[in-house]
Amino acid sequence: MKNKNHGILFCLPTLILLSMFFIYPLINVLIMSFQNWIVLGTPQFIGFKNYIKTFQDKEFWQVMSNTIIYCLIVTPMIFIPALFFAVILKKTNKKNAILRTSLFIPCAISLVASSYIWNWILNDTYGILNFVLFKLGLINEGINWLGTTWSARFMISLSVAWKTMGFSMILILAGLSSIATSIYEASEIDGSSKFRTFFSITLPLVKPTLMLALVLSIAGSFKGYDQFVIMTGGGPMRTTEPIIMYISKVAFDHYEMGQSAAISVIFLIILMLISYYQIKLGDYND
Amino acid sequence: MIKQKHYYKKIVITVLFTLIIFVFLFPIYWNIVTAFKNPCEILAYPPKLIPSEWTIYQFNKLLTASNGVFLQFFVNTLIITVSTIFLVLIITIPCSFALAKLPFKGSKIVFILILLIFMVPFQCLLVPLYTLLTKIHLYNTKLGLILIYATFFMPFSIFMLRNAFLQLPQSLFESAILDGANMWKIMTNLYLPLSIPSIVSCIIYLFIETWNDFILSFMFSSSNYVRNIQVGIMNFGKQRFSSDWGIINSGTLIAIIPTIVLFIILQKYYIQGMVSGAVKE
Repeated sequence: MKNKNHGILFCLPTLILLSMFFIYPLINVLIMSFQNWIVLGTPQFIGFKNYIKTFQDKEFWQVMSNTIIYCLIVTPMIFIPALFFAVILKKTNKKNAILRTSLFIPCAISLVASSYIWNWILNDTYGILNFVLFKLGLINEGINWLGTTWSARFMISLSVAWKTMGFSMILILAGLSSIATSIYEASEIDGSSKFRTFFSITLPLVKPTLMLALVLSIAGSFKGYDQFVIMTGGGPMRTTEPIIMYISKVAFDHYEMGQSAAISVIFLIILMLISYYQIKLGDYND
Repeated sequence: MIKQKHYYKKIVITVLFTLIIFVFLFPIYWNIVTAFKNPCEILAYPPKLIPSEWTIYQFNKLLTASNGVFLQFFVNTLIITVSTIFLVLIITIPCSFALAKLPFKGSKIVFILILLIFMVPFQCLLVPLYTLLTKIHLYNTKLGLILIYATFFMPFSIFMLRNAFLQLPQSLFESAILDGANMWKIMTNLYLPLSIPSIVSCIIYLFIETWNDFILSFMFSSSNYVRNIQVGIMNFGKQRFSSDWGIINSGTLIAIIPTIVLFIILQKYYIQGMVSGAVKE
């Protein structure tokens, strides 16, 4: 009988922290999104006005499309190499272990650090990338990689893909290692080619893990912020400004807390939909 | 003949692997050599792949700039990170134990709430967290940041530890109860020592997440006594009209060394933790 009380007592500190810094802000963001919140003065309920204003806001659609475009560029850049390396490094031997570790090292560094490292490589006057391309005769003058919309989007994606590819690779490797070797042996005896084995056996069996890695990288790209602040600051012409940067701008530069809360709620719904799949695929609950 | 062919194949693969490693890790290499070059060589044309002399000039400059503010950032980050790890472990160990071994009325709801933190990233809650922190006077304090980190990084730890506790045989638990041990003792003396690998995974995860955070520190701190190292690098990066790449590279290198070293030493635990954090096994 006593056990029943123990359980909740053991959870109490977690529950206090959870309700203060998670549940309360979560409820508060919903309330704020229906309010006219100016830093000074009492907030008033204004119904759906913040939402209507958001959907009519050209800047909102600009940052939405920036984020979606970024997601569409970065996801294959992470995913295809991750799948490739996971498949070729599947066997555990020393050589593969070294390569796996090397590919995973960038995962340990921060986005701020990786962004600065890439900023330095991509620098228009002193960057080593321009130097190499110039020596190879591919360009005549230094390119300002982060100065034009599409090249900035690609370069930010490249730096993030470089940093996070290892994580997806490890996830896919975990999925691959759960496939029984007897299946491969059987297909080998049946004489199917490596190509055929990959598409008819490996891919279908590893599909849940692949989907999970995919969903995680999509959610990650929607939450992107650091890399944009460091690499472009949202420019050129706000074409690399992600949703989060916009939310913080509306709140802390324009002081429109209600409006910012409404955008947060819309963003939250999008992310909940994405992570719903994550949880379904990851199967956290028993 | 066949043996020789096999031999060639091996060489080709080794060369290819080395090449991949070289290209992939080149950005980090370039960061390291730039940090140790002398200021003239950093902007030299053509760029030097290996510095003609290795110097700590940049680090000196970085650490003495603005009364050693970078060291302050480093210390802030260390204090915040270590405190977050302690706080999370202290509160999540009993919680995970209860969720695994002491089901109570509503324990399912507690678990679902924790799951919800996974689904709702803190990026959506920046505005209400900001108003909350100002209301309770924890804006621009280390404690405020620690509490937020702890809240949003604890679900991982709870999943990890709950699974670890669940995997231990039920008979262990029953025999301990028969011996008359109380719950706290069972947890600390029996279950914890058996779950060290999972706890190590949690510590590494928490260290890397907290150390590498940028957005929370950036949003919720305004003084150099609170800001973490990531925001600190940005202060150096955006201070001048033309960026001082020597200082930026040395700052970046200092910021990445702890996490990379930790990762390389405890690689196994880190990867195990990352994987089971994303996929429940």
